[in-house]
Amino acid sequence: MSTATISTTADSPDEAARVRPKRLNSEKVVSTLILVVVGIIFVAPLLWLFFSAVDANASARLEWPHFTFKNFTDAASDDNLRALLNSAYISVVATVVATVPATMAAYTFSRHHIPWKGPLLLFILMLSGVPVSIMIIPLYEQYLKLGLLSLVPAAVFLGVTSLPFEIWMIKNFIDSVPTELEEAARLEGANTTQILVRVITPMALPGIAAAAIFGFINAWGNFLVPLVLIPAAEQAPSPVALYGFFGGQVIRFGQVAAYSIMYSVPILILYLAMARLFRGGFTLGGAIRG
Amino acid sequence: MSTRVITAGTAVPGPDETSTLPHPSAPRHDRQRFQKASLPLLFPAAALLIVLFLAPIAYSFYLGFTNLKLTGATARHHRFTGLANVHRLISDGVFHESLYLTAIFVVGSGVVMTTVVALAMAVAMQRAPAAVSGVVGIVVMIAYMIPPVTIAIMWVAAGTPGGVITMLVGQSQADILHTYPMLLVSAANAWSLTGLAMLLFSAALRNIPADIVEAAQLENAGAIQRFTRITLPLLKPTIVTTVLLISLMSLANFAIVFLMTGGGPGTATMILPVYSYQQGFFFNDLAYGALIGNITVVITTIFSALFVRFSRRDS
Repeated sequence: MSTATISTTADSPDEAARVRPKRLNSEKVVSTLILVVVGIIFVAPLLWLFFSAVDANASARLEWPHFTFKNFTDAASDDNLRALLNSAYISVVATVVATVPATMAAYTFSRHHIPWKGPLLLFILMLSGVPVSIMIIPLYEQYLKLGLLSLVPAAVFLGVTSLPFEIWMIKNFIDSVPTELEEAARLEGANTTQILVRVITPMALPGIAAAAIFGFINAWGNFLVPLVLIPAAEQAPSPVALYGFFGGQVIRFGQVAAYSIMYSVPILILYLAMARLFRGGFTLGGAIRG
Repeated sequence: MSTRVITAGTAVPGPDETSTLPHPSAPRHDRQRFQKASLPLLFPAAALLIVLFLAPIAYSFYLGFTNLKLTGATARHHRFTGLANVHRLISDGVFHESLYLTAIFVVGSGVVMTTVVALAMAVAMQRAPAAVSGVVGIVVMIAYMIPPVTIAIMWVAAGTPGGVITMLVGQSQADILHTYPMLLVSAANAWSLTGLAMLLFSAALRNIPADIVEAAQLENAGAIQRFTRITLPLLKPTIVTTVLLISLMSLANFAIVFLMTGGGPGTATMILPVYSYQQGFFFNDLAYGALIGNITVVITTIFSALFVRFSRRDS
């Protein structure tokens, strides 16, 4: 494209044609080199994880594995599988606790008149930047007093930590949903609840689902909250179980790597789903054309 | 949004005058008054945020001025002790070190490592063959998606003698986890956040009009000149917001540092969130830990406010 522009405007097209590709090539070479070097640094720890997981004598070294699946069968002990289930349980509770209230609030912020709406939304955005770790001491003290140090209350708190950002994600999505369908429903006599459930939720589903996935990933990945707020070992989720692997005299890298993969792959799949949903979200305009 | 409401209404010249509406029974989006219907919709989110988000922060500020312990007599019956903890904090050498280490971690890892690598990648990805950009992009994004605990495991292995990093720097017997612990946790943090920064930079680069770049090429501007005179100035708003966002996320990346080093060896990686946890749950001093946490809240609030301000100006 740029070469075409050059050849029509440059004083001596021959010279330009001779110089330009060379310069472009050197840029291309340097760019490729940068990406390859960065790529090697980024891929090396990942390769180690996958090789160690299937290596019979895995160590901290990156080496070609002596293939085995024993690491996975060892890692899939009853305790570790229960930890995965606990993670799923915590994440589902947290997702529901965050997404349902966030959708209701997001709709209100998008469509209703609320005093100080702008400052309120900015305040909510700021809350999404507050690190969870600083709330852990006061929360521990209160949960201890109220006897709430267990799985579900910890999950509820994890849901609340996703709430500010989910409100933002869903509000931005509902903002892009056209108001015509909603107005038509209102003329037919639908009330706010019906509009929210029957009109807004289906239309904004990609945005709501993306926000829900964000909430799920946030709860699944959190380590400190379950570590402090869930003292019972049989309720501990996977991150805390993985922390237990560090405790021994010798780290059994093969097992740790295998269990890390079992724990991390669901998150990669969810991220892929979220990326798809977002791409779908921007082609929503067709809904009112019919 | 306001234009949409006007077209929806039936030929009313003054859409803000509610009294002249031809169909008072036909509801429209009332932008003038507070609707009662808003309250029940806002209530669940507001209640949860107040009880489990704002109240803990407020309570933490109070706890910072008490003698609450994890165990023992003052675990149940703590009392207000005024500025005792603050006096201790001011003369606490580890706290001073922790402040310094936090700055090193956030600036070195978040701002320098993450931002520079991500920016270089985003620029290089525009010029490199699509296959190379695609593969490297996927690898970097996977690094961003992986949960923090897994990242800690990978980087502990990478930093022990014989590990991946020792191999890449050509000294396989080096114990980087003990000799350069701050460098290693910073690299692990940067490794996990570069994907996000790269995504933001790539999106911003795509928005730079092609004709500006072409005009510069016509003027025989070299690659470096084009970068410093065109790309950097146009990307400046994105760089500012990305730096602030990555700083916030680095401050929140407690798990990576805690799992990799626990703040050590000694106090070599004792960033504020880790020191707060250590005081609270290892040394049983919940009140002092809360006070250190409160300092972190103040710092993050400043970063957050700046982020919100700059990202608003950006859009």
